[in-house]
Amino acid sequence: MFTWEKLGKVFTPQQVTGRPWLREFAQAPCALLFDDFVRIYFSCRPAPDARGQYVSRSAFVDLDRANPLVVRRVAEQPILPLGGLGEFDEFGTYPVSVIRDGSEIRAYYAGWTRCESVPFNVAIGAAVSLDGGTTFTKLGKGPVLPYTPDEPFVLSGPKIRRFNGLWQLWYIAGRKWKLVDGRAEPVYKIRMATSSDGIRWTKLNKDLIESRIEEDEAQASPDVFHAGDKYHMFFAYRYSAGFRGKERGYRIGYASSSNLVDWVRDDDKAGIDVAPQGWDAEMVSYPHVFDLDGRTYMAYLGDQVGRYGFGLAILRGTLE
Amino acid sequence: MGTMTFRKMGKIFDPYRHQLPNDCTQFAQAPQALVLDDRIRVYFSTRAVDKDNGKFRSHIAYVDLTKDFRDILGMSREPVIGLGGLGCFDEHGIFPMNVVRVGNAVYGYTCGWSRRVSVSVETAIGLAVSRDQGVTFQRIGPGPVLSASLHEPCLVGDGFVKVIGGKFHMWYIFGTGWKRYAADAEPDRTYKIGHATSGDGIVWIKEEATQIIGDRLGPDESQALPTVVEIDGRFHMFFCYRQSFDFRKNSTRGYRIGHAYSDDLQRWTRDDGNPLLDVTAGDWDSDMLCYPHAFECEGKVYLLYNGNEFGRHGFGAAVLE
Repeated sequence: MFTWEKLGKVFTPQQVTGRPWLREFAQAPCALLFDDFVRIYFSCRPAPDARGQYVSRSAFVDLDRANPLVVRRVAEQPILPLGGLGEFDEFGTYPVSVIRDGSEIRAYYAGWTRCESVPFNVAIGAAVSLDGGTTFTKLGKGPVLPYTPDEPFVLSGPKIRRFNGLWQLWYIAGRKWKLVDGRAEPVYKIRMATSSDGIRWTKLNKDLIESRIEEDEAQASPDVFHAGDKYHMFFAYRYSAGFRGKERGYRIGYASSSNLVDWVRDDDKAGIDVAPQGWDAEMVSYPHVFDLDGRTYMAYLGDQVGRYGFGLAILRGTLE
Repeated sequence: MGTMTFRKMGKIFDPYRHQLPNDCTQFAQAPQALVLDDRIRVYFSTRAVDKDNGKFRSHIAYVDLTKDFRDILGMSREPVIGLGGLGCFDEHGIFPMNVVRVGNAVYGYTCGWSRRVSVSVETAIGLAVSRDQGVTFQRIGPGPVLSASLHEPCLVGDGFVKVIGGKFHMWYIFGTGWKRYAADAEPDRTYKIGHATSGDGIVWIKEEATQIIGDRLGPDESQALPTVVEIDGRFHMFFCYRQSFDFRKNSTRGYRIGHAYSDDLQRWTRDDGNPLLDVTAGDWDSDMLCYPHAFECEGKVYLLYNGNEFGRHGFGAAVLE
């Protein structure tokens, strides 16, 4: 089992002022290293509209590189505009995953639209930053990863990586909409695609992680990290119904692979769980692992899937 | 192509005169032909009304006709293909479905509709396969084979597939965007005709956002339902086109049949300055012509199409002379 020492909550959106689009939530943290700070991209929400519906925006917070518990700067504006009328990302851009590509920074993000029979649909778009990650321009008005026969809806949670000269995208694909007390709740599974240019993708068309707690287990945030002689994936999973509370809410799971395609799940190794009390006492989710000056950190969300911010944990020992 | 002349054969199917599946009572849209030994099976989309909100759902049915179109031999007795499940791209309708023989199977390329909140609808193209000569079709999966992509942001639909030289070709439409033409108007969409190819009919490569037919009406022209037929070594495409707003009741802005031709399936020459088929005053197609489908049967080339009100009152045929 890995040993993660929790360092506490690092960023609390409710403490930010002067940014009405950043009222609460700091979801799906994703790190990008700069010379003297660590930029953590996240997704947040303004107040809901008159009908109680939210949009999601994405932004960043810069943490001190020498002491990442210190917030040095919060983005002045969201990094991406919402999509136009009828576009796939009209009602939200959440989450975002970024990677350096030469002098540019490429972002993959999930765009949200609203539907009549189910509350929403999600697809994955791509954008590029030419100003060091402050703002991003969409590569097109449509999604970069299309729906396909076995991935009919809710393509979300992109995590972009480059290994062995190829682009890899881990993401989730909706399997079914399950009616729970009259409300449609999505079930999704972790999937993968590869590409030589980051634009044209070949899907693996396979569930990477076997479901453990129930057939309709929902899996999210497939965060892949290379260390030692293998690939490690931390991810989040939950029950398909009643998941907004502690008992059936998100937990962090773990799997490993030697070839990026075949994964062995072993949640007992994850080494991070809900706390007896505090900001992450009901759920832990959306893990993101990154190296910083010889140390390995995990950024993650606590209760209510990041409504009150994200925290950090530090690895004691090594990933192997 | 001054030598091509169509002779109208009149309306050949009226949905009000027949019992339709799924409690549908009107519309026989986008007729698509499957030629069998002793008959022509014509698939079409007909509409049921949702009791709770009054909105339409399109369902696929077929009618079997004699090869001279004069007699009806039968109708589909069971659902040809059901609508998609909760949250799927084809949950709220299939309109149209193009059929093409592939070996002993019949592939059905569906245009699935699902309802949105800020705009009325999104569409994508699915694939279902029939092993019983087109009586019933089974989806290859709950999701589409062709859908929105980086530069085709919405409304991929109206697929028409032909296998030429062992390669699958699909002509289809992609949305370029939604727009409100007046402050209090519902959003209207614009779409153009594109082309994709495939080795197996399942995995497609689009010519991403390449509009293959030039606009006659300018950038606000919407082009729909392409159909391609080979005549004397040249490929002919028929489609319908209209203005993007005020096209439902205003006959001068509504659908007409367009035409283009190509010798290499790459470059198309639009050739509908003098329409090959036009409206007929006082008849069932006096205000609108839409949803053409060209096919060959026993040496003759036919065009099935809809008339007024997008096919509410049925479809007719014309024969190339």
